[in-house]
Amino acid sequence: MSWVTAKRLFFLIVLVAVTLSVMRLTVPETTRLTLLESSRFRDVLAPVQTGLTWLGRQSHFIVSFPAAMFRAAERNQTLEQEVTRLESQLTQLNEYIMENQRLAALLNYKQVMVRDYSFLTASVIARDPGNWFATVTLNRGNQDGIRENMTVLTPEGLVGRVVSVSAANCEVLLITDPRSGVGSLIQETRTPGIVEGAAGSSGMARMIHIPKNALLEEGQAVVTSGLGSVFPKGIPVGVLGSIRNEPTGLFQSAEIHPYANLNELEEVLIVTTVINGAQSPPGGG
Amino acid sequence: MPFPILLLFLAGALILQSTVLEFVTVMGVKPDLVMLVVILNGFLLGTRQGAFLGYAAGMVEDLFTGSYIGLNALSKMAAGYLAGAAGRRLYRENTLVATGVTFFSAFIGYIINYILLLFLHIEVLPFYAFLRVILPAAVYTCLLTPLFFSRIFRLVQFRDRDI
Repeated sequence: MSWVTAKRLFFLIVLVAVTLSVMRLTVPETTRLTLLESSRFRDVLAPVQTGLTWLGRQSHFIVSFPAAMFRAAERNQTLEQEVTRLESQLTQLNEYIMENQRLAALLNYKQVMVRDYSFLTASVIARDPGNWFATVTLNRGNQDGIRENMTVLTPEGLVGRVVSVSAANCEVLLITDPRSGVGSLIQETRTPGIVEGAAGSSGMARMIHIPKNALLEEGQAVVTSGLGSVFPKGIPVGVLGSIRNEPTGLFQSAEIHPYANLNELEEVLIVTTVINGAQSPPGGG
Repeated sequence: MPFPILLLFLAGALILQSTVLEFVTVMGVKPDLVMLVVILNGFLLGTRQGAFLGYAAGMVEDLFTGSYIGLNALSKMAAGYLAGAAGRRLYRENTLVATGVTFFSAFIGYIINYILLLFLHIEVLPFYAFLRVILPAAVYTCLLTPLFFSRIFRLVQFRDRDI
């Protein structure tokens, strides 16, 4: 090996070693915001990201519109038949709507939610640029009273938790991110487990550490347990998908299809205060 | 192209990736523009340039996201180096060859990314890693090569008449 090659090799080894050390030192829980991530930079970038996101939505509509018109005539005929069928269903559905309105009034759902939680609405302005992780940036920050570990949800179900906050924005770790863990239980059987993300781009999560003797069925609802977690109890997470035994033989695991459509988030609710719930102190996962 | 301008160009790609590209996802996967630029740059300019730009671009991406600094730097450095090594041996003016090299280099880059995630104790099951991230992202990224290759090739030719 020549002297030049050895020198280059030495330099490469040092570079890789230093980078690996920095990587280990910059896990999100132990680090402050980086220079590029700092509030001022992020706040300056926010209008650009908001504009580009809006532009993306408009472009998506313009591009997808001609595609939707493709084979419109053929679809029209099918749709006419569908309309006739749906008209009869509509009468039936009206009955359900009226019933639903009565039940909703009985449950007084909205008042219950307002009694338990204070919400703040936020818009998604950016997402993680890669495919491994699943984080989104929201247009709410310190100045709106947002703090780390606040729960984020949609009316459909749990979205994730706030992991970093700047003056005007915050970053949310979605439940499909492999770094996320949510203490949960199966609603019907009260079987506990942990919901962790599968991979950012998959839009899926997994429920792990489910006791081997628990009776599981696909389609069972999963809600947050509120125990050892930053999340309030009873928030819908998703439904069970395929079930399998964990390699250790002691537990089972199952795929989770989140209720919230995490790949197409636009507006979300941040839980700023849990009034009567069982929110544990921040720090869990 | 001067290096600071190239970095600015990459920062622009990064902003696009976190906003607009969200609307062109296929099965939740979006193309990796930064990886594509790094690979094509390495393929046309050689191992040293490829590794250097890969490391710099990956570092910008890591600083942008704010955690695990070095994760993308190392994986993109490897992808840029591999593309440079392939460029030495293969015909560099053919878009199809560049597309193949992009797939191969991106695939290896993502595998290194996956290994580094394991090093950081972030568990992603191999099934999800390979079938929901690595393979689709490498395919999607390489399919964009024909759109960018001729432009980057002309830029590089303008800068360096030798290739």
